[in-house]
Amino acid sequence: MSPGCTGDQPQSASTSEGWQDHANLRAFRFSKIKMSLGKTPVSVVNLGRVAYRSALQIQQHYIRQHFDSSNPTPNTLLLCEHSPVYTVGIRPVQYPAEEEQRLKDLGADFFRTNRGGLITFHGPGQLVCYPILNLGCFKKSVRWYVCEIEKTVINMCSKFGIKASTSPDTGVWVGNNKICAIGIHCGRYVTSHGLALNCNTDLSWFENIVPCGIVGKGVTSLSRELGRDVTTEEAAPVLLKAFSEQFNCCLVKADNSCEQTQQTLN
Amino acid sequence: MFSSFCPPVADVLLFLPSCCRCSPLSALLLLMLSSFCPPVAAPASLFCLCPPAASHPSLIFHCPAAALKYTDKHEWVRVEDGVGTVGISKFAQEALGDVVYCGLPDVGTKLSQSDEFGALESVKAASELYSPLTGEVTEVNNALSDNPGLVNKSCYKDGWLIKMTISVPEELDALMDEAAYERYIRSIED
Repeated sequence: MSPGCTGDQPQSASTSEGWQDHANLRAFRFSKIKMSLGKTPVSVVNLGRVAYRSALQIQQHYIRQHFDSSNPTPNTLLLCEHSPVYTVGIRPVQYPAEEEQRLKDLGADFFRTNRGGLITFHGPGQLVCYPILNLGCFKKSVRWYVCEIEKTVINMCSKFGIKASTSPDTGVWVGNNKICAIGIHCGRYVTSHGLALNCNTDLSWFENIVPCGIVGKGVTSLSRELGRDVTTEEAAPVLLKAFSEQFNCCLVKADNSCEQTQQTLN
Repeated sequence: MFSSFCPPVADVLLFLPSCCRCSPLSALLLLMLSSFCPPVAAPASLFCLCPPAASHPSLIFHCPAAALKYTDKHEWVRVEDGVGTVGISKFAQEALGDVVYCGLPDVGTKLSQSDEFGALESVKAASELYSPLTGEVTEVNNALSDNPGLVNKSCYKDGWLIKMTISVPEELDALMDEAAYERYIRSIED
């Protein structure tokens, strides 16, 4: 069982990646954190600008860590930005090859993924967050998890003075405009994919699609709502703080202690 | 009116142990009716609240011939005439939320136990499905294409996902029966 995690270890496959000494040190450190804070530790990895294809491979790496019993702290939160790309979920019928080519001809990439949700756009100025979590450490319910993600983003928007809300359509909205899209995959209680928050995204990319398949509604961004430029760099720590509050977890940046990371976020 | 709906006492006694296990209310109803006379089958839903055998009228006053077995990933399987019907449990459908899409395999797909065989989408989340047994897919519930909400509304009956052959019947022995699954659910919720 992972220190700091009260959930079950996912069924694991053994790997030999030379983790042993590092794992022992991290296990000791994180067990101390758990005892002192009573919170599940979640590592934060900032990938910066990364190709969508690479981000998929990186997510698979962190998913595999959850099934590696030698890794004591597999819960990870990935932050990144992508070059222009359209992605669709597990319902591919609505997006045939012709539609895929039309979007590629506009200069974007196109990926079919295993997440929920319909079509969306990722690009520069959009903060993308991929929590790779074992829900056994939190609550074993996908419905609960998605709700917590929505509350995290609403909380984060409120810190910017923006009144955001949920609607019958999953995601986070400011009025009739979506500010953050959500699309998740869950296998053996391990989550992947996540959320995409428009900071200073070029929203015209969304005009080429019906975002999330919802006709009659628009998109917005932090910059549009606040009337000033809000970068992903400005938004990221605010999102992380909201995440740690909503999930009652302890975020740890690589090689930082939990206390140091919390001080950075405050 | 009740005289046309009563089982022989012997059948009631045979039925009581399993019915008490799955529904004390069913047991109470049968005890009351057993004071009347002879047998005719009655609508299952009136007497037995236990899924899924309750859907078969001839099984009302007998122990369910096809009891459910469960996996730790909340799939259930019911074996009848050598064919396994697979679905997800009430606990699972509640944890998912409203199902809006069912991604299911093609007929003829060969599955090993615990293989991923599809996914259910709800609240923008795609959740994997895992095969409870080793076998081959013989039928897919096409009603779910137009009505994926059947998985929520009728998870043990109309919301079944696939039917499959049973290549390794011994695998059933390791799956949880209803009582064990209920204990498992309680352990998760605690």
